[in-house]
Amino acid sequence: MQNNSKKWFVLTSIGEILFFLLLWQVLSITSWFPTYVSSPVEIFSRIGEMFADGSIYPHVGISLYRTILGFLLVVLIGTVLGMLAGFFKPIGNFFDPLISFFNPIPKIALLPVFLVWFGVTDVTRILIIFTSAFFPCFIATLDGVRNINKLYLWSAENMGASKFKMLWRIILPAALPKIFDGWRVALALTFVMMFSSEMIGTSTGHGLGFMILNADSYGRVDIVLAGVFIIALLGFIFDRLLILLRNRVLWWSER
Amino acid sequence: MTENEIAAGGSPLGKEKSAIKINKVRKVFTRNDEEIEAIKEVNLDIKEGEFVSVVGPSGCGKSTFLHIVGGFIDKTSGEVIVNGKEVNKPGPDRGMMFQESTLYPWLKVDRNVAWGLEVQKLPKKEIKERVEYFLKLVGLWEFKNNLPSELSGGMKQRVSLAKVLAFNPEVLLMDEPFGALDSQTREMMQAELQRIWSESRKSVLFVTHDIEEAVFLSDYVVVLSKRPSTVKEVIKIDLPRPREISIRKSYDFVDYRNKIWDLLHEEQNVKQLRGV
Repeated sequence: MQNNSKKWFVLTSIGEILFFLLLWQVLSITSWFPTYVSSPVEIFSRIGEMFADGSIYPHVGISLYRTILGFLLVVLIGTVLGMLAGFFKPIGNFFDPLISFFNPIPKIALLPVFLVWFGVTDVTRILIIFTSAFFPCFIATLDGVRNINKLYLWSAENMGASKFKMLWRIILPAALPKIFDGWRVALALTFVMMFSSEMIGTSTGHGLGFMILNADSYGRVDIVLAGVFIIALLGFIFDRLLILLRNRVLWWSER
Repeated sequence: MTENEIAAGGSPLGKEKSAIKINKVRKVFTRNDEEIEAIKEVNLDIKEGEFVSVVGPSGCGKSTFLHIVGGFIDKTSGEVIVNGKEVNKPGPDRGMMFQESTLYPWLKVDRNVAWGLEVQKLPKKEIKERVEYFLKLVGLWEFKNNLPSELSGGMKQRVSLAKVLAFNPEVLLMDEPFGALDSQTREMMQAELQRIWSESRKSVLFVTHDIEEAVFLSDYVVVLSKRPSTVKEVIKIDLPRPREISIRKSYDFVDYRNKIWDLLHEEQNVKQLRGV
């Protein structure tokens, strides 16, 4: 029964996507869409070519490197700081106003500053990715830690657990469902910011964002859309991987 | 027995060594710059091996009192002495059991019971033995590989009890541990607790709003006044042990019950007359 409904869900999802692609194709052929919007057939044949001649791999490689490095930094620093800020009141009080102030800033607005400071380098790109994705991770962790059942901590204190032991063995697992939610938002943002951060150009000539901008300047909408599709696909794959990891780690969780 | 007699150093709760001594404990909360006196003055002397319950009108601060004894919240003044040592912080000498299950949902039943023992760095072999002993004591050994979410409310509280007993505290503090259970399960748990208590002979300080529960389990029932609370009366429960569930129907039992009921309702009437 459950298996069947899952199968049904997958089938309808695929059907939905196919339907929209077909509609798009028909609209393109009948010229309802402006001619500069490439049709799905064109886009997919471009993607096929780029994989066949291997020209896409350096773009994907360097973009993934920036995205994943940025994401790992967010996970490491955002989660640790979030836990400390949630657990130790003075640290939380220190961060609260800073978060309220810096969170609403569009981090891409800092790009000119980073550019002057670090030049057209990966440091600038990863900083843009990091500063954007840090906040959802930090805030979700802080929230998760602050909302832990107080009795979990009392019970641990009762048995003589040290603060460090409580952080590591009670607070981390108890807040982990919430932390994973934060990681998921952060992961999507790292992909968004990867594209934005690559708009500054590059010396190596690689990166999906760079590839898209470059194609745009030659009027190659098919390559632009092919790049967009590949970013979406990568984002989708990593989102699924994160959910897989979540279900592995939070096997006890009822969700 | 009045509070003054206890404060005067009399020893109404038996003759042996004190397990928990409460001297002039007072608690004032500050909320929005307003001071609220929750506990005016409580004095108690619980001897080794005694089962003492605390009852009081709703909101009288009996849970607050127990949390102070546990060291989870600070007292404004006074002292709490456990086995001759003054205590201000939580510690494994006082095993605390709460109304809600404090089992960690990510650990299986046996790992939950082992948790406190691992914190205290006991040898692996001893941890294993203790976990087995106490899970068998509460009758849940066969559920050792289950998650807490797979247990009923009563079973969770039995595991919580095993978890607290396993780290061998000198005294047990119980904060309405059966308050969230249905009445049948609660009666069963009370009988179970009596059996376990008579085996382990720990001193117990038990907070409840259920008069019958207090009478059934206790050697002494402490009745607190309404807020700011003081000890209104200490009643010795002279019923033979072990007590059967059917003892609830006996005249003596009902007498005790009615007496405590009257004491509690005096308190509540005062409240009503004042129009609070």
